[in-house]
Amino acid sequence: MGREPKPPMKPEEVLRLIAAARGGAICVPTMTTAPAWRTIAPGDLSVTCVGFMGGASSLGLGLALARPDRQVLVLDGDGSLLMQLGSLATIAGAAPRNLVHFLFKNGVYHTSGSQGIPGGLTVDFVLMAKAAGYRLGCAIVDLEELRRRLPGLLAAEGPVFVELHTGLAEQTPMTARGGPSFLQQVEDLRAKLLSPRARGRS
Amino acid sequence: MPESIPATLIIDTLKDTFREARAALAAEVAEPPQHSHLGWILSVPDTHQKTVLAALDKEQAIRVVTCATEDEATAIAAGLHIGGEPVVLMIQHAGLYASINTLRGVAMDGRIPVFYMIGLLSREKDKDPRESRHSMVRYCEPLLDTFGVPHARLEGPNDVHLIPEYYRLSRERRGPAVVLVGLETS
Repeated sequence: MGREPKPPMKPEEVLRLIAAARGGAICVPTMTTAPAWRTIAPGDLSVTCVGFMGGASSLGLGLALARPDRQVLVLDGDGSLLMQLGSLATIAGAAPRNLVHFLFKNGVYHTSGSQGIPGGLTVDFVLMAKAAGYRLGCAIVDLEELRRRLPGLLAAEGPVFVELHTGLAEQTPMTARGGPSFLQQVEDLRAKLLSPRARGRS
Repeated sequence: MPESIPATLIIDTLKDTFREARAALAAEVAEPPQHSHLGWILSVPDTHQKTVLAALDKEQAIRVVTCATEDEATAIAAGLHIGGEPVVLMIQHAGLYASINTLRGVAMDGRIPVFYMIGLLSREKDKDPRESRHSMVRYCEPLLDTFGVPHARLEGPNDVHLIPEYYRLSRERRGPAVVLVGLETS
């Protein structure tokens, strides 16, 4: 008798662990990680990739290159990454040491009605990331393993790729609308990083 | 008649543009980024600007990231802008068509200044691009007009002043701005 496969991790629990461990990292959620992240980490150094699906990894790369003094955590989705899969090679080529690319893998386009992604859960993103040239790549299937390995993954030299086997989020951008616009988030994060003189320190 | 522009002239102009951008940011913010380079070029290789891209390989002061797609380049530009870094995208017209949704989402809805240098590959020297027999050339300016993106043509060495001007324009309008490279650079 084989053991029962473990149920996938709850995305909200994964995000709570990442939020607790992120320190001063800039975070880039997208699609179904976005509503929960708004609640779990309100007002932190984050900018949501919204309005250009698939762009989270590239947006994170730009931030990582601009701010090598800070870590950047991308909270990507499998359907999203497939839309700009070439970004794996672009990130590997640019080789930002401060980038950790988390992939929430659920095998579906949850936001648009849970249609299956091409290839479903059989797509091996870790293999792709490592073949593209990420320094480190791994898959994590349960919360205890994530809790144990997260500090080491965040401390490792990037780019690091972490495929997280998760179920469906409680909310999607369609069921939990609202939150600051992309424009507002950009302005807020830029102000936090650069301290405009009008609002700057005295 | 349009003339080819030497790569060295474009690169010197880009350096001046980046210096000006860094000075402007330093006047605006208390914590501008401190780097040894002047700025960033994000490129998806363009036949029309290949001599510039080749010369950039030897440049220490300008960092170049070759991107797999123009969608990536636009999103990377957004991240660099948020972090205070000056950036120019060098692509070709086919890449503009391919990435127009990202231009809309990032540069227009997100009001992120993104400055593009776009090569008009296959543009006939004796024709206005809008009258080209090649659809890729012919539709480029009308597409930019449809999206309300300001654009100008580099038709020769005397036009390189348009590079800093349209770079500034992208900052002032907080959106996309484009210069079109009319002929292959030399």
